[in-house]
Amino acid sequence: MINQLRKIYSSLLVYSEGHDNLDSTYKWFVTGENEIIGIDEEELTSKDVSLLATFLLPYNINLPVPTDEERKWRNAIDSAESSAKFEIKNSYRFIYFSIKKNQIDPIVFKDAIHELFAKPVPILWGNGHEGIIIEEQTVYEDSISFEEIKDILMSDLYVKINFYIGSYKESLEDIAQYYHLLINAAKKVFIYTNKTVVTYIDAVPYLLINQIEPGLRSDIGKTVLQKYINDEETLKTIETFLQCNLNISETAKVLHMHRNSLQYRLDRFFEKTGIDIRQFHHAMTVYLALLAKK
Amino acid sequence: MADLKLVNIRKVYDKDVVSVKDFSLEIRDKEFLVLVGPSGCGKSTTLRMIAGLEEISGGDLFIGGKRVNDVPPKDRDIAMVFQNYALYPHMDVYNNMAFGLKLRKFKKDEIKKRVDNAAKILGLEDLLTRKPKALSGGQRQRVALGRAIVRDAEVFLMDEPLSNLDAKLRVQMRAEIQKLHRRLQTTTVYVTHDQTEAMTMATRLVVMKDGYIQQVGAPKEVYDEPNNVFVGGFIGSPAMNFLNGRLEENYFVMDDVKILVPEGKMKYLREQGYVGKEIILGVRPEDIHDEPLFLDFSPETKIKASIEVAELMGAEIILYSKVNDQDFVARVDARFSVAAGETVDLAFDLNKAHFFDKESELRIK
Repeated sequence: MINQLRKIYSSLLVYSEGHDNLDSTYKWFVTGENEIIGIDEEELTSKDVSLLATFLLPYNINLPVPTDEERKWRNAIDSAESSAKFEIKNSYRFIYFSIKKNQIDPIVFKDAIHELFAKPVPILWGNGHEGIIIEEQTVYEDSISFEEIKDILMSDLYVKINFYIGSYKESLEDIAQYYHLLINAAKKVFIYTNKTVVTYIDAVPYLLINQIEPGLRSDIGKTVLQKYINDEETLKTIETFLQCNLNISETAKVLHMHRNSLQYRLDRFFEKTGIDIRQFHHAMTVYLALLAKK
Repeated sequence: MADLKLVNIRKVYDKDVVSVKDFSLEIRDKEFLVLVGPSGCGKSTTLRMIAGLEEISGGDLFIGGKRVNDVPPKDRDIAMVFQNYALYPHMDVYNNMAFGLKLRKFKKDEIKKRVDNAAKILGLEDLLTRKPKALSGGQRQRVALGRAIVRDAEVFLMDEPLSNLDAKLRVQMRAEIQKLHRRLQTTTVYVTHDQTEAMTMATRLVVMKDGYIQQVGAPKEVYDEPNNVFVGGFIGSPAMNFLNGRLEENYFVMDDVKILVPEGKMKYLREQGYVGKEIILGVRPEDIHDEPLFLDFSPETKIKASIEVAELMGAEIILYSKVNDQDFVARVDARFSVAAGETVDLAFDLNKAHFFDKESELRIK
């Protein structure tokens, strides 16, 4: 195939040596045999590029060369045909990651990620700073959490990383939908939280609030929080109380406040708004209002 | 080694949420500076701005005299240790320490030299071939420190590195980090919410609240001369007692309870016009006494206290009581046995007490 293509595109190169040799004035593709080929952009029309992409995988030269495993997953997501699906042994989940632009070499990131798991995990790159890690559900006693992974990568790679962790899936059915919904959700959830590791469970309230049209969202904030809408100190107290699972002692400790003062502040909020934040339903409403305000 | 200079540093998140407000500080070369404060005070954000993990919204940051606001984190010559002292689970200790250098394309010989040196400093020489799961919690934490040491960086940044450890190990690691700092003399910025950690480790500490610096000073200075009610209450355990009352000529008065104010303190209170006004008395638990000799010499700072709870801590007893319906805590010598339900005489050492303005909550001096 390469020879046939070379007859059409005389500039065609086959990548065989160091990664640094890849020329950015070329369009690069990966063949079915995992060879990387490049064609001078001047020799290509946009129609050519689209045509080539139907049987070759476009390749970003700044990203690691996809492994067979990664190509398999990519095919399963991108192809509507059932033949693209393959058999999976264990449940799997997608973990979205994003890093600040131009702060890291994706190849270095991939090397570090692989060292954190018992075997190399497929990474599907969206671009040079975000993508999906595919993690199989396995029971290794020395596995580590994504909170820990975030810290270890931050100290080794000097980058702040966000992780959004999807649910486990047992089959490849609806994999494309899972993939796209996860990416869409990931791009929204970090608006509502300062946490850098968020699971799909944490994200549900954020996504619900995000669905509401802006006018109603603003109205929920104002209606529920009433005169406290701009009282940052009280709102911070309430937010911490919710984060501490409505535990007065824990909240007082975190805020370094006497528990009687905290109690007084919550009582005042009840008197002025009629909302008893110590009751689950009221707490949930206030939580949604706080999110709506963000 | 390097000094750091933060000039009017600000951090504003989306929608005008200001996390750090006008933070200015010079951190001296070789100093062990601790940022301490309650959750949400801006201490971690400040550290992350120094690291370059958070963008600086306003102000200037200098490391070693060079402005680094726009320098990527990897080029700031810093090493970081975080709360989760996680290690690569499938690598041995040697490779865990070496990996960061390998990623930065250091030569093998140099990596070996640095890892061996860090292992020697931390007493990890015999553990280099062990995997993390075969290490104790303390050993793992030492490896995490080793991963920072091998960087040979100008500045260490530590963000609550001990908060995931149990109480016993925390005390042990506190000492290890201090020893390490004495040996390496690397400028260190250390973030904690734990005032004991701050007091025991810092060369200087910075107490923060709501994005503002409340006080900067040596631990003893901050403990003995707190700038305001917040600092007085935050630093020290049990916390400083705060009693509301009125200042009358020579006396601090809480309804029918009158406590004599020493002339030295009365003089500046009088000069600043506090006589006849509501003020706050701040007194540390150890400055409330039950020893007969002290009681004899302090008849006019003595009160009758009904003890609600008495906690025997070994060498001392923590007494919880009320005066004029206001809670207070005293720390007294366990030689004099006191039990809950008893009424005892206690005397306040007003020479060591502080007075705070009722409105501004600033210490009157």
